Amino acid sequence: MSRQELTIGAAGLQTQMRSWLAPLAWLFLLVLFASGMPHLEGAFRWIEPDSREVIYRRAGFFVLLGQHVLVVGVASLLAVALGIGSAIAVTRPAGRDFLPLVSQLASIGQTFPPVAVLALAVPALGFGTLPIIVALLLYGLLPIVRNTLTGLDGIDADVREAARGMGMTGGQLLRQVELPLAAPVILAGIRTSVTVNIATAALGATVGASNLGDPIIAGIINGNTAYIVQGALLIGLLALAVDSVFERLLRRG
Amino acid sequence: MESGRRVPNRVLLALMLAGLLAWLALDAVSLAPNRIVPGNSYRAFEIGGGWPALAMTLPMLVVAGLAWRPSPQTLRLALWSVLALLVLLPWWLVAASASLVEPEMPQARIGIGVSIWLLLFVWLLTLIELRTRLGLPRQLGWLLLLPVLASWWVALVWWLEPLSLYREYQARSDQFLAAVTTHLALVGAAVLASLVLGALLALAMRRHPGVRRAGFGLLNFLQTVPSLALFGLLLAPLAWLGARFDALAAIGVSGIGWAPAFLALLGYSLLPMVRNMYVALEEVDPAVIESAHGMGMNRRQVLLQVRLPLALPIVLEGIRITTVQAIGLTAVAALIGAGGLGTFVFQGLGQAAMDMVLLGALPILGLALVADAAISALSERLRPGGAA
Repeated sequence: MSRQELTIGAAGLQTQMRSWLAPLAWLFLLVLFASGMPHLEGAFRWIEPDSREVIYRRAGFFVLLGQHVLVVGVASLLAVALGIGSAIAVTRPAGRDFLPLVSQLASIGQTFPPVAVLALAVPALGFGTLPIIVALLLYGLLPIVRNTLTGLDGIDADVREAARGMGMTGGQLLRQVELPLAAPVILAGIRTSVTVNIATAALGATVGASNLGDPIIAGIINGNTAYIVQGALLIGLLALAVDSVFERLLRRG
Repeated sequence: MESGRRVPNRVLLALMLAGLLAWLALDAVSLAPNRIVPGNSYRAFEIGGGWPALAMTLPMLVVAGLAWRPSPQTLRLALWSVLALLVLLPWWLVAASASLVEPEMPQARIGIGVSIWLLLFVWLLTLIELRTRLGLPRQLGWLLLLPVLASWWVALVWWLEPLSLYREYQARSDQFLAAVTTHLALVGAAVLASLVLGALLALAMRRHPGVRRAGFGLLNFLQTVPSLALFGLLLAPLAWLGARFDALAAIGVSGIGWAPAFLALLGYSLLPMVRNMYVALEEVDPAVIESAHGMGMNRRQVLLQVRLPLALPIVLEGIRITTVQAIGLTAVAALIGAGGLGTFVFQGLGQAAMDMVLLGALPILGLALVADAAISALSERLRPGGAA
């Protein structure tokens, strides 16, 4: 690792810095708008001249942003652990019986609209943050499982054979050969999963979770366009910031 | 494998075990005197002395037994057993509602409990597993579901009036029909418009690399923006346009309603459509084009007679992705007053009326699955060298 880093050199370091510019810029904008929203009162007054209140004040924008990130983060971490774990389990000799079913389920499940999954979670689990996390987790599993299976499946049989020939055990083969080779495809699956989850979590505001979807829903109900713009702006920036981080990670892979 | 010692099919065993546990341990139905009061829950064996529940248990045990020594014959028998279960389930519900609902409760509602939802899920997984193991074509799988649907339909129309979902539907059947129509109209309009615009864009992208880079950049950007945010952001400029120009307001352009919904749907639909069309046009083998030119075809003929037929399956794949995605996104559009099945979902969530949520969510799910299956079947059929 260190040898690799040394050979990158000064010029390489500079391009590395530059390639992180896009994610950093989106993050900076996100933090800037989350903290500076009340200072934009003039602009929002212009959008929504008829309302008395033009800045959403039921909760701070940082609190809403934090809750949004927390829900998506918890669900996505669980989805990554469970998704990669189960995809690995069904590609080992012991679990291979389950491979056809799991891979079909992962592809059929992706036709389920996320809204419907969220809506079905509520009758089963009630209102609040828990059903959202469960719905996001279940829905987020699918692209991760599918891409992990695709990634593991795409590895050349000769490569496995060679690793076995070098005397690698099953665990070593997985850790040192299979997972690194499948990493870009898996990462792409995680990216899809997180992107959809950020969007679906916003809908969670309709089932009693408070997050960045709140100002939008409140704005729609009260006919206050300024609220809607505030929520939409922050969700959009959050999605773009997270997406650009993945973009950056994928390009290195 | 085919000889004497066969290995048990562990997938089927696990699924049947899960199904039996759910059936024995969890609540199967609930009974409420009306829409507002929460009901009492009952497990399957607490109803009718447990005999109807036992009748449902036996086929599951049969499937588990057959899975012990799997062969094509036993697996086919298992498939029939699972289908029998799916056909029987509504009649179990009929029996349950007959034994639970008293004549003096005209508004009584039978709710489907967690156990039955899990059973349905497990049985569908079992069907998928059996279909894969037996190597049955996908279309046959759908055909097998027809008797199941027929059985449910007959039970619902004549005997299952107290089923809460059915009562909810009957209370607003007109609204339901209108919602389905609106939903399909929005999806259809977005898919058609994106098909036309997508074709034009893909052709322009092939000519000009600049358009390609800018176009894909913009569409990728749009696809990343969450739907709720995009609907919200379109609200303001469209409200302004509607207020400023009477002609636009006259055709219904305003911040709320079909206009922002349609525009956002179109924006999301363009990326999968353009991407697939572009790939479809690019990936045609140059040798084929070359020989078409050699046969004396002009550019136009090559496009219409060679490129398009070869590109069709990939374009259909784009239409499939777009349609399924649009069905889900249209549900969100209900929040900005565009109508459609999402209206039931969000109204139901607002009133904590779960039957209403289901009345919206289940058809959305069904539409997405049917659209996916239908377009997949079509593209399978049209693939060159496929089952045409």
